[in-house]
Amino acid sequence: MSLAITGRPSLFDAVVGFLRKFDVFVIAALFLLLSLLISTDRTIEFMIFCIFVLAYDLLYGHMGRLSFGHMLYLGTGAYAFALTGELISGNPFLALLIAIAAGALLGLILGPIIVRTTGACFALINLAFNQLGFFLALVAFSPWTGGEDGMSAYFRKVWLIDFSKKTTVFCFALLSLLLVIYLLRRLTNSLFGLLLRGIKENETRVQFLGYNTFAVKMVAFIISTSLSAFAGALFILNYSYVTASFIDPLRSVEVIFASLIGGAGSVYGALVGGVGYKLISNYLPNYIQRWEMFLGVVLLLLVFKFRTGVWGYILARRQRLEAPAALESKPPEVSR
Amino acid sequence: MISTLAYGLTVGGILYIISIGLSLTFGTMRIVNFAHALVYTLGAYVLVTSLQKLGVGFVLAGLIAVLAVIPVSYLIERCVIRRLYGQSVDYAIIATYAVLLIGVDAIKWIWGAIPIPLSDPVGTSVTILGVELPVYRLIIIAISLLIFVALEAFFSRTVVGKIIVAGLEDKDAVASLGISVDKYFAVAFTLGSCLAALGGVLYAPITAVNPYMGFQVLLICFAVVVVGGLGSIRGTFLAAFALGMVMSVTGRFWGPAADTMVFVVMGLILILKPLEV
Repeated sequence: MSLAITGRPSLFDAVVGFLRKFDVFVIAALFLLLSLLISTDRTIEFMIFCIFVLAYDLLYGHMGRLSFGHMLYLGTGAYAFALTGELISGNPFLALLIAIAAGALLGLILGPIIVRTTGACFALINLAFNQLGFFLALVAFSPWTGGEDGMSAYFRKVWLIDFSKKTTVFCFALLSLLLVIYLLRRLTNSLFGLLLRGIKENETRVQFLGYNTFAVKMVAFIISTSLSAFAGALFILNYSYVTASFIDPLRSVEVIFASLIGGAGSVYGALVGGVGYKLISNYLPNYIQRWEMFLGVVLLLLVFKFRTGVWGYILARRQRLEAPAALESKPPEVSR
Repeated sequence: MISTLAYGLTVGGILYIISIGLSLTFGTMRIVNFAHALVYTLGAYVLVTSLQKLGVGFVLAGLIAVLAVIPVSYLIERCVIRRLYGQSVDYAIIATYAVLLIGVDAIKWIWGAIPIPLSDPVGTSVTILGVELPVYRLIIIAISLLIFVALEAFFSRTVVGKIIVAGLEDKDAVASLGISVDKYFAVAFTLGSCLAALGGVLYAPITAVNPYMGFQVLLICFAVVVVGGLGSIRGTFLAAFALGMVMSVTGRFWGPAADTMVFVVMGLILILKPLEV
């Protein structure tokens, strides 16, 4: 930033361009650094939460649909993972695949009902289904899920990969996060991503251009539910324990907050938001007793003053600083 | 049978009293107002304090609670809701949820997080057709019906009520007549908040007063508003009692499923008749 102010945007651009090109390594390095600063355990949780935020952001940031019950899809993955471990096989990779498939299946079943709606209705119908899922996990299926007490999930060693070691889980979670980032970036930078943003802006116009918006929304929804289920399964892989809190609809707001703090509609925003929210919720209670109040004030500020989130604010600032340069030569860069 | 019916009517009555404010806010301002749960909880807490500290009777304490939320709801309307007019629904949801978060934390700060039980203020029960029913529940049903009649009269007979109903239909047309619509919407908002506080007051003796009592009720009230039709005053009335009956009948067969059944009904309604928001 300071480089740009001193009138040498070319060097700044070069650095940013370089970092962008190898941003996967930068992200990996930053998370490694984080694991040194705070505990490895916490960092694993942060990374998995970031996957969840990314999955959520595909619907919220890109497609413009605010879901108020995304814990349902996370919880589905978590329970599918734990139940596979108990009933079918102790192979963690098979269980992960089954968890993702369960998320996709749920998206396929609920999608036709949910994606037709917009705005408040989309938020509330997700909430309704989440409440239903919470009830099923907590009460109706309690002989299998353990109800309020939850159930533990242990997996056996596959070759040399032993998920009872935290280092292994850390590496696996980091690789998963990078893979999800890569996949989502490919997806959102394609025509498909353009259609999603088109639907966010004006769905009728996208239809008018001859695209089947229902199919586009369905695919985005299923990808989001599958990735959420994947994140849920990873959480259980880390904790080796699942309780009904993983499907609690009241916790759905966490991911909305994270998405909003970072800034919706960008990979970096989701990462900043995921880590930022987790830092606030994990560490702030140690220093400020009234941390919920603090979070509320932060949210109000975000809504009224910094609507684009931390990352959006940085981008906007940078564009303003570069405005004279942009006038001379190149068109403004598309935010990622 | 009779007791199930009476329980359903009690729950329906309380749901109606709380939901009407939500329905008005949604109908007039297109805002999904999570802060409504805060006013409801606050009403119950002010009631507790008035009973314990001032030593007044239940009716007077309830009145104090209802009046006490007026400045709070004015503040919420002025500082948050008014700035969200005409904005995307998402931001309204998040901002009002933030208000709820701040308010609930403040309540925990002032009153503590431990649930406070209240005793039934009437304490007697009558026997109807061989079934013993607490008089307090019958009073709740009567109050809710009274409020329905009063609101019907307010919306069809008074000028303020008529302006609000007209604003529900077409805000711009009312504004073009030179009426400051926002002012009347603020009246509607305060009215809804007072009723929510009344709901909290009435429900407090049935459940224990705790900082999170608003969350669960709010979700059910959203279901009421959605089933009844957003901004429909009579629809809210019918939906509240219908869902109250759904809750009590389900609860009779399978207790834990009572709340969930409400959301099943709401899901079905949304499938059959998606909202245009």
